[in-house]
Amino acid sequence: MLTYSLKRLAQLFVTVLGVVTLVFFTMRMIPGDPISAMAGDNLAGAALDKMREQMGLTEPLLLQYLHYLGGLAVLDFGNTVTTRLPIIQLILDALPVTVSIALGTIFLTVLIAIPLGTLAAYMAHKGHRMLDNAITGVAMVLDLMPSFWTSLVCLLIFSLALGWFPASGTVNIDDPVQMLRRVALPVLVLSMAQIATMARITRTSVLEVLSEDYVRTARSMGWSELRVLFRHALKNAALPIVTVIGLSFGNLLNGTVIVEFIFTLPGIGNLLVGGINSRDYQMVQTLILFYALIFVVINFATDLVYRLFDPRVQF
Amino acid sequence: MRINRRSWLTAFVAGSMLIGTSVAAPSLALAQEKTLIVRFYDDPAGFDPSNIFRIENENIAFNIFSGLTSYDGVTGEIIPDLAESWETSDNITWTFHLRQGVQWQKGYGEFTAEDVLYSFNRILDPDTASPYAAELAGIESIEAPDPYTVVIKLSAPNGNFLHTVANYHQGQIVKKEAVEAAGDQVRWQPVGTGPYYLESIDVNSQIVLKRHEDYYKGPAPIETLDFHIIKDDATAAIALRNGEIDLLMRQSKEEQLQTLEAEGFKMNHVDNYAVSIKVPNLTDPILGDVRVRQAIAYAIDYPAITAALAPSLQAPAYSILLPWMDVYSEAAPKYEYDPEKARALLAEAGYADGFTLKVLGTSAQGVTEQQQFEIDYLSQVGINMELELVDTPTFNQRRNSGDFMMAGRLLPAVNPDMILFSYLHPANKAPGGLNGARYDNPEMTSALEAAQAEPDPDKRLELYAKVQQIAMTELPYIPATASNVFWPSKQNVDGVNINYLAQVNFWDVDIEE
Repeated sequence: MLTYSLKRLAQLFVTVLGVVTLVFFTMRMIPGDPISAMAGDNLAGAALDKMREQMGLTEPLLLQYLHYLGGLAVLDFGNTVTTRLPIIQLILDALPVTVSIALGTIFLTVLIAIPLGTLAAYMAHKGHRMLDNAITGVAMVLDLMPSFWTSLVCLLIFSLALGWFPASGTVNIDDPVQMLRRVALPVLVLSMAQIATMARITRTSVLEVLSEDYVRTARSMGWSELRVLFRHALKNAALPIVTVIGLSFGNLLNGTVIVEFIFTLPGIGNLLVGGINSRDYQMVQTLILFYALIFVVINFATDLVYRLFDPRVQF
Repeated sequence: MRINRRSWLTAFVAGSMLIGTSVAAPSLALAQEKTLIVRFYDDPAGFDPSNIFRIENENIAFNIFSGLTSYDGVTGEIIPDLAESWETSDNITWTFHLRQGVQWQKGYGEFTAEDVLYSFNRILDPDTASPYAAELAGIESIEAPDPYTVVIKLSAPNGNFLHTVANYHQGQIVKKEAVEAAGDQVRWQPVGTGPYYLESIDVNSQIVLKRHEDYYKGPAPIETLDFHIIKDDATAAIALRNGEIDLLMRQSKEEQLQTLEAEGFKMNHVDNYAVSIKVPNLTDPILGDVRVRQAIAYAIDYPAITAALAPSLQAPAYSILLPWMDVYSEAAPKYEYDPEKARALLAEAGYADGFTLKVLGTSAQGVTEQQQFEIDYLSQVGINMELELVDTPTFNQRRNSGDFMMAGRLLPAVNPDMILFSYLHPANKAPGGLNGARYDNPEMTSALEAAQAEPDPDKRLELYAKVQQIAMTELPYIPATASNVFWPSKQNVDGVNINYLAQVNFWDVDIEE
């Protein structure tokens, strides 16, 4: 276990360095820089060159890269190029918003998708194609509705017509009630798409397991159908489901750009889009580094969870 | 001003209590305190006048700072601000008599001529790296013979100097001690002499302005301006309809405007605030021919396009200047829709079989309906318009470096001289300047210089008329549309006068109980 963790740590280091380097140079390959992104229609080129110099954008690329790595080595993520604010603080401020949306979405998704997927698998197994098709069909429709559209529809229904949730306003972890009211609709919208994916995966893996010998054995031992389904079938079908949950969680943590935009949520996705649009190199680099870390950690956690479900998994 | 989470907690608690009061019954404790909740449409980028960008940030700065002069919210005319009066005999030496007893925000004392000197010298200082330094480059010397007089000598006569020192960008007066105290965070710690000061900001969600009790015109009617960042236009409209905000800064979706108007909201707006122009690259062999440019102008029916697509938000434009500008000339040629003439001009230029026109645009909104119309209109005279859509920074970079055949530009400016000089004078050719068409016509250049120098008002107008005559005949830029700006609000919000820089002076704004 210890060697395994060390090996993962070394992998993490290499992955992160690769990602950081790639992002550093890709960002600078895109035409335009923070200054040309900032300057609107009324500013001329000559007026902007001095600003570039002041921001250190005229230094040789390799030197900029070394500066950047030097900063990383001492965990200095720097300030944004355009607004001069400490990046790490901006990310830490955005994180609670994104984490609560991600957790809420995963919770709602698991709560609905797993029973639904299991039911669909059971129905398919028993030859009740109708109900199975209905569940799979609804899941597909949910999946295909674009989130910018469902977001607006949700706003019109739950915010404007029913008045249950506000469409705007600040989001703050220190006020859980307001926070809940602000993230409820985004969670609903994001869950729709997640439920579809998760229900399909659950259905497929449970269906596969249902025709295994040990399920037949369990049935022949006289156990109830529910116990067979959830104790034996679902548990053995869990590995792919756990993988999908892990991946979705990672994706959700990386920010859900459209939903954050429409619901005005100051989360991570908001920072990334702002960073790319304003060519804020430092911000984009730090966020991508952060994403890489999240994925490595989540993959590691997923591996650990595998063991809970399948003792045969060895490290 | 603090940027930390605690402060946005307090601001939030105050804000949410006030939301509560504006929606439900007003609570007694807060009944006298007026708060206006305003939609802000993008992430704030800071409010340092030397380095400020984009209209939404300029709107905040406009209310925090003052200039020697300012703009009237209704007529757009230059009006006194920190300078009570001024005189010049030759457009070279300008003497400004300053208002006495003006107080800085946050206890920085009384405003004097020293502050004007500091502010202008700060912009001109190369270390400030202000992109607006060029605006003040004509200043040869600036002196303060006494604390309430500023004498500015220019290196060449400039009849438009009052625009240069207005409450906008380089004209905004800052306080030395406050700038030095803020260090590299000066963009987040503005201190001015305007009607509101910045109380707190959360760059991700909220900006809170409080009224400056010692403002020289007296305190503003509303105590607190609470700007909530709502990026999506549809969400902003829902927030207004839901009563979550009182005033919606800038609604740019035609269908939302129609809904809000139908539901009885107040549709505050300013018309013709900026012209959107086509920038042909004159170094291109085809577009270098004036007949081709005229053909393009004749070929597209902008009145029909704007009427069909966005009758509230857009109007056709017939010049690179707007009719409300003091030097605007009615006599300059106009290009009404005439496809026959367009075809004839193309044939004359040797393109009877048409040509391919590559248009560089931003991908922000995909292919717009307006572009689809343009493609269609141009195809009717044989021009094959091809769109090349790139993201905004790339667009700016390529437009600047000349890597395009035709591009577009918005001209948001109240100073007509700034538009004409920057866009038509060869000294301002891109990439160094804004003359993106790379236009260079000696006759135009001498007319421009003469117009800027002329102290006699009538002769000045004549010279500007000549400039417009040449510009609209040669068409180095092709005017397309003029845009209107809407700030819808609840009916009880009064005094939202949007000026021609798309700014609102919140000192004029009040909420009726």
